[in-house]
Amino acid sequence: MGTSQSDIMGRTLLEKIWDSHVIADEGNTSLLYVDRHLIHEVTSPQAFEGLRLAGRSVRRPDLTVATMDHNVPTSRSLPMADQTSEAQMRALERNCTEFGIRLFGIGSPRQGIVHVIGPQLGITLPGTTIVCGDSHTSTHGAFGALALGIGTSDVEHVLASQTLWLERPKTLEVAVSGVRKNPLAVTAKDIMLMIIRKMGTGGGAGSVMEYRGQAITALSMEQRMTICNMSIEAGARAGLVAPDEKTFEYLEGREFTPTNFDSLVGEWRELYTDQDAKFDGTFELDIGNLAPQVSWGTSPEMTCDITQNVPDPAEFADEQKMRAAQRALEYMDLVPGTPMQEIKIDRVFIGSCTNARIEDLTEAAEIVRGQKVLPGVSAMVVPGSQMVKTEAEKMGLDSVFIDAGFEWRESGCSMCLGMNPDILLPGERCASTSNRNFEGRQGAGGRTHLASPVMAAAAAIHGHFVDARDLF
Amino acid sequence: MSGKVVRYGRDNIDTDVIIPGQYLKIHDYEELARHAMEGMDPDFHSKKGSYILAGKNFGCGSSREHAPIALAHSGIKAVLALSFARIFYRNAVDGAFLLPIEIGEDAYQKIADGSEIDIDVGAGLVRDITAGAQYKMRPFPEMISKIIEAGGLFGYKPE
Repeated sequence: MGTSQSDIMGRTLLEKIWDSHVIADEGNTSLLYVDRHLIHEVTSPQAFEGLRLAGRSVRRPDLTVATMDHNVPTSRSLPMADQTSEAQMRALERNCTEFGIRLFGIGSPRQGIVHVIGPQLGITLPGTTIVCGDSHTSTHGAFGALALGIGTSDVEHVLASQTLWLERPKTLEVAVSGVRKNPLAVTAKDIMLMIIRKMGTGGGAGSVMEYRGQAITALSMEQRMTICNMSIEAGARAGLVAPDEKTFEYLEGREFTPTNFDSLVGEWRELYTDQDAKFDGTFELDIGNLAPQVSWGTSPEMTCDITQNVPDPAEFADEQKMRAAQRALEYMDLVPGTPMQEIKIDRVFIGSCTNARIEDLTEAAEIVRGQKVLPGVSAMVVPGSQMVKTEAEKMGLDSVFIDAGFEWRESGCSMCLGMNPDILLPGERCASTSNRNFEGRQGAGGRTHLASPVMAAAAAIHGHFVDARDLF
Repeated sequence: MSGKVVRYGRDNIDTDVIIPGQYLKIHDYEELARHAMEGMDPDFHSKKGSYILAGKNFGCGSSREHAPIALAHSGIKAVLALSFARIFYRNAVDGAFLLPIEIGEDAYQKIADGSEIDIDVGAGLVRDITAGAQYKMRPFPEMISKIIEAGGLFGYKPE
């Protein structure tokens, strides 16, 4: 990936971004300049404490942006019952004040899930490097940015130096072809779940996955974000989509989009993989016959078509996979051979950095409009940001959901990760638009089925999973 | 560095089971450690292990540095696995919490739960004292070695 090589042959999109950010090389590892650092309340407190102990300052507070999302209760009217959460939020406020960092805190109209507000505010830009102490930072790759999740030690390193040591990734082309037969029912979430299902949760290990092909360019920016968001679930370091006219149109005129937008667009047009560039690997998928996907197990790769049955572990050739499936079915309390459409659910969660943007809510509302949530099912919509919430309310989507019996909440990570008041009770089964179905992810003993917003909305109405293709 | 192995014959042990989300607000490392592995093994602490042995993609999922911290403060000196998720791997090394050691299929299959093992990083060896066998560990990448030697990311000074 060195410049000598790149002079001779074409470069991939990743290599172009990488080359323009390398400060120093140490063997297979490079020190990269970081253009944008997003922080939140949960993975930053120790990093700031480290800075204080070492007597360091924040190198570029102007390139650092903070919000609160993981802990925040989505029912804001309640006093915060959880004092440790409140302490973490107050700590972020103090840290941002002390170090001069812009904070979109609770109460701000710009507050929201960090991976939702970055693009909405025009902070996420093509060709940049973006880091955040959160694995789903891969979301921002939808704009052709190299966006990586990092841990708290690295957060401290970036705060102090605006740089990050990173091992040189491999390049993996994910070539997606075909046209979805029913694009309202078969969504970007289904494309990504299928990619993970085929590649496995380790399929992208060590790589940055560049999603390419007509099926990807046909997607909206928000849909591309859903795809890139779950790159980490395939084990990849990051996901990328080359920026195009849709990207530029999305970014134009946003609050923090740079004023030299027009000249930047000129540079951004160079951000694509050259025709003679070589990827380290290629994965191909045709989505012409793709069905809505629903996960049945406790790993995102444990997913099947809505028309299929819960698999029989005995049918797995690989012994490890067989035992993992057995254990997963035990945890999920599912019997092999049960049709996916007969799985009854207790809860529905429409939210998270994967699927809580305005298009997600609009699509889900189309299913819900004029219908009622089945009695006994508890369903909630948690907009990805307060800006999404406001926009949805202007469109009247809040009424659509509330009239149907959904709860309509304030923005936050909510029930994606079981660390705020929105959790599953032990044994509860949830249709969730989030990204992880790990054991206990949504609350100890909770059972998660990953699905698209339309599939989750339909499950709320019927009390079990249904094929969204029958509804559009 | 010798001690007892806690063996989990599984791939994809994620950070949500290593330290469930509800504990990410805890800043006291000893208290955090009390909840280590709570998501999949409530008996973890009674096993008094110094090492965890696991399959592929250990530490996948969230970027929470609480995961290696909770393990380290439970007495875990190293995790031996067929492979690691990148963020967990870097967190373990950058914060100097524990060593993420990549091993081969042979060591993974043969080292039994509860075995006494010895890790010799200099020689690149995992010695199974109980069974009287030894296995090569995959060498750390150059930069990772330097960070480990420096006692973490902030100890490392580029030349």
